[in-house]
Amino acid sequence: MKAVGARLPRYDGIGHVTGRTSYVDDVRVPGLLQAKVLRSPHHHASITHLDTSRAEKLRGVRAVITHKDVPRNEVGLLEPQGFPADEPQLARDVVRYRGQPIVAVAAEDVDTAIEALELIDIQYEERPALFDMRLACEPDAPQAHEWGNVYPHFGPYNHRRVRKGDIEWAFERADTIVSGVYRPQAIEHVPLETQAALAIPEPDGRLTIYSCTQAMYYTLSIVATHLQLPMNRIKVIGGTVGGGFGGKVDSASDIVAALLALKSQRPVKWRWTREEEFLASSTRAAWHIELSDAVSSDGWILGRRMTTLHDAGAYARMSPYGLTKHAFHHTGAYTIPNLKFDGFAVFTNRVPTTAMRGFGVTSVSEATEIHMTRVAEVLGLSPWEIRLKNANRIGDTTGNLVAMQDPSTVRVTLAAAERIGLELAPGFRNMTGDRRSGDLLPEHLVAQQAPEGVHVLSRDATANGGGS
Amino acid sequence: MELIINGVPRATASSPVTPLLNVLREEFNVTGPKPGCEQGGCGACTVLVDGQPRRACLLAIGTIEDAEITTIEGLGTPQALAPIQAAFNDRYAAQCGYCTSGMITAAQALLDRSDGPVTREEVLDALSGHVCRCTGYVKIVDAIIAASTGEFDPPPDDDRLDPSASEPEVQVRGSAA
Repeated sequence: MKAVGARLPRYDGIGHVTGRTSYVDDVRVPGLLQAKVLRSPHHHASITHLDTSRAEKLRGVRAVITHKDVPRNEVGLLEPQGFPADEPQLARDVVRYRGQPIVAVAAEDVDTAIEALELIDIQYEERPALFDMRLACEPDAPQAHEWGNVYPHFGPYNHRRVRKGDIEWAFERADTIVSGVYRPQAIEHVPLETQAALAIPEPDGRLTIYSCTQAMYYTLSIVATHLQLPMNRIKVIGGTVGGGFGGKVDSASDIVAALLALKSQRPVKWRWTREEEFLASSTRAAWHIELSDAVSSDGWILGRRMTTLHDAGAYARMSPYGLTKHAFHHTGAYTIPNLKFDGFAVFTNRVPTTAMRGFGVTSVSEATEIHMTRVAEVLGLSPWEIRLKNANRIGDTTGNLVAMQDPSTVRVTLAAAERIGLELAPGFRNMTGDRRSGDLLPEHLVAQQAPEGVHVLSRDATANGGGS
Repeated sequence: MELIINGVPRATASSPVTPLLNVLREEFNVTGPKPGCEQGGCGACTVLVDGQPRRACLLAIGTIEDAEITTIEGLGTPQALAPIQAAFNDRYAAQCGYCTSGMITAAQALLDRSDGPVTREEVLDALSGHVCRCTGYVKIVDAIIAASTGEFDPPPDDDRLDPSASEPEVQVRGSAA
């Protein structure tokens, strides 16, 4: 335990400050080829004709790959969790977002690779494109995805749902109903190191991949699945990431580099330009959140109805997972006994969205915290005191019936108040997160409590779908 | 033509319009300067040309023949850190590290042209074209001020820093203030 609380030097600090840290693009290998990728110029289109023969014949080109060269083209990032695959590594007959990879080239230098892309004969038939997730839910909206515009695989449902208590009772009993719409926007991660991978075919038939991935073992399994190779044939070297923030969990560059290396039997590097990064790398999703709270005039949140739309972009990737986290956190740090939540992952023709710093949770926290303050304003109460009153306590249960063992809401709120010198009313100043009693245990909060002495109330969440 | 890179004259076969960053990284394997945007917008490729911070990605080598080019590698080594490098390390001013080469190089130019302690405003001005997407700016600014005042500790002795372990003592090169 010598490290806990100690001020230790960073293990990689000296490398960083001397420019000696080796990122993927800094690795030097002899015989290196450079990769470039033909990306869709359209947001949504059918590919009606594709001929790469002229590019293949260009002097200096060592490999050209299309969907036909990917042993297993469609792999789902959440397949091990039971979610089906939808996204091709290289597009086959349709492109669903601008910048989607279609053909990859490895050549002796970047200029030759770019020249080869210009020799690819490809024709498209444009389809109507969809950019607004609310329009996606209209019956006459263009269809963005082969599964329709709403992700359909949450078990028996086409949405992630939470049901708890008696939501009708809460809204009948309410003195006031406070509603709001919140729309956290898409954000590009913009790591200073763009997506990069270096794949090296080894003489013994194995493959070494220098990767900028945030998740090496995860990337190993995704690459192995696309390549249909056993994992012991692939060695992923990484851990030195020039900024990721969630944008480097999708293995965006590893698979194409690996396929080109295997086909050319030469080391291949694929480093995205900044323009490609902005055009085609995944972003944090945009969200549309509609929220109604049934509240009593003395500041109890009796019930919450919430509908969330999550912009998955053109393919599912991690969206069902992010939306699930969003669902599980939709009461924030507070205990609300009656809940009705429906969350939809909606397909559009924007770039696929993915994790970014608090995947699915930052969006719901933004909405629910702004909303808590609005509820306080409507009721004429202190935004601090309404938070403390409804705060999670030991023995309370979350929306998906996990019993709280050590919730931090009360002590964090009190600490924040103290740090800004806020004087709370006497009844709030000395609050703890202990199990509810007295005034803090009104009739409407009794049934939601876990039995005393039972610390974990775990329930299979199959009612929410997804086999979780 | 010849380029003087970290004090060493190097003959290059590249065309005079080639960006310095490409020549440094691809021809001479000087990989400290990073390609962040290759459009002059992020500062990760910053090097010193005759002591002035310049964007290597936008600088055609034909314009800097005979100039002294200093990269992060020319400021100090793992065994003999420059004060600015030691301050960055001590103050945890590097996060992912990708912007760090450019930040430190620009900071060195500021320290060189300032005589003694620098102000927060001077640091912000010197770093105005540098992006840190880990958003570690406060510690970066603190480290540069600390380097200018000498208020930082050199790294502890550590055998890992020297593969041969024959000279384990880590030194800080030059004087701090």
